Amino acid sequence: MQTVEITVTVNGEVYQKTVSSNQTLLRFLRDDLMLTGVKEGCNEGECGACTVLVDGQPISSCLTLAAEMDGKHVLTVEGLSSDTRLHPLQEAFIEAGSVQCGYCTPGMLMSALALLNLYSHPTREQIRKEMEGNICRCTGYTRIADGILLAEEKIDAIRESALRVGKEPPQFTGIDEQFPEKWNSQYEED
Amino acid sequence: MLPKFDLYMPTDFAEACRMKAEGMKVVAGGTDVYVNMHAGKDHSAQVLDIKQLKELQGQRYVTGQGLDLGALTTHRRIEKWDVIKEHYHALYQGCSQVGSVQIRYRATLGGNIMNGAPSADSIGPMLVHDAQVVVAGPNGERTIPLDKFYTGFKKFDIQPDELLTRIRIPQPPANSGSAYYKYMRRNAMDLALLGVSAYVELSGGTMTTVRIALTTAAPTPMRSYQAEAVLTGQEVSDEVFAKAAEAVVAEGKPRSSWRSSAEFRQRLLHEVTIVVLHEAAARAKKSPKEKASPIPMQLYPSLAGLLPRPKEEE
Repeated sequence: MQTVEITVTVNGEVYQKTVSSNQTLLRFLRDDLMLTGVKEGCNEGECGACTVLVDGQPISSCLTLAAEMDGKHVLTVEGLSSDTRLHPLQEAFIEAGSVQCGYCTPGMLMSALALLNLYSHPTREQIRKEMEGNICRCTGYTRIADGILLAEEKIDAIRESALRVGKEPPQFTGIDEQFPEKWNSQYEED
Repeated sequence: MLPKFDLYMPTDFAEACRMKAEGMKVVAGGTDVYVNMHAGKDHSAQVLDIKQLKELQGQRYVTGQGLDLGALTTHRRIEKWDVIKEHYHALYQGCSQVGSVQIRYRATLGGNIMNGAPSADSIGPMLVHDAQVVVAGPNGERTIPLDKFYTGFKKFDIQPDELLTRIRIPQPPANSGSAYYKYMRRNAMDLALLGVSAYVELSGGTMTTVRIALTTAAPTPMRSYQAEAVLTGQEVSDEVFAKAAEAVVAEGKPRSSWRSSAEFRQRLLHEVTIVVLHEAAARAKKSPKEKASPIPMQLYPSLAGLLPRPKEEE
């Protein structure tokens, strides 16, 4: 087969597309869906810049075919925020100075999200191990680990304040209708 | 950009076997095949994606019998499975050090075997745990011990119309322990410069069964039968481990590559064998629950002056 019909959910939206059999998920997201937050780095699975979550699992989109994505849920960095509202992880990356040139950042954010879904309170050692597939040439990684730890604090604070006012705490696994203007102020009691 | 190819994703096993016999490139996780294609080393015109085949999926552990792993079992599944940490610790150590998290979510054990790399991290641990592979085709199933499955560099005891379907690993007894050491230049995203796996069964202080496997020490991952013979029936001691290490050095045939010279690999074989045997023996003494936790490594015993260094060649 030269082309394959797929129905794929990307960032909560369902797309029906015909893709050529040799198109990678990376090229599909960038060229067909214009989701240019997904970056092409090495194109051989070494650098992690193209990391996206497929059914919640971080994978290198350059080594995955778009044709395999039929029925799958894909989350890219665009799915973390909506309009002006940022995910706490993004806020934390900004506040901790985890971004310099920014090319690795979309991949870092996706790996970090998978990490926080796996361990809600990661140690620095766990962060190093789980983020091993993402290369950054600017920050020296320390600020990135700081950013992830800060995000963990923010998420904890939001969950606590949600519980205090008797609301269901948000899951932060991806795009979420409950996204507030600023995460920190979402559930402030009046 | 990947080269142009036709993609087939059959759900029927017999159809997949027929397609493979026609010479299609078999792909599971794609973390080797698509890398080669991106690099222009592979121009296969037809790609056979086998991820839909039920016969290759699933993984099960039965107490007393052991593991039955589908060839499509990912490295990440092995890494995050408590049973593996407890009973097959070397396999945990091997699988958790492959590539990166992103790679491990995709890369399969079957693919690690069939790629045939001498540096494959999951193979040494599977060899020392006495794994058997099941290959199936139109003429039925065959079960082959893993070390007989390799017949040469990237060559296997498999027919063109057969697929590797399952990997079976027997249950190790409670008095056993295993370990794998991967020597790398960096702590992630690197192939093994050298790897040694060991499996030890202890009765009292005596080693009743020992298995040692070497990776990146020959064209295929290999067992070191001579070193095993040196150790079997002996008490655990630094001296006997040093003798075994000499046997390993005599049996291993590493070659020079851009990663390292053959001489360096020979020297490493000696050191790493001793380190790994100590760890496996220490794990064998532990209770089943404690086997899951890491054991502090005794690094480079000969450098610490505990053992004589192997002879320098003039």
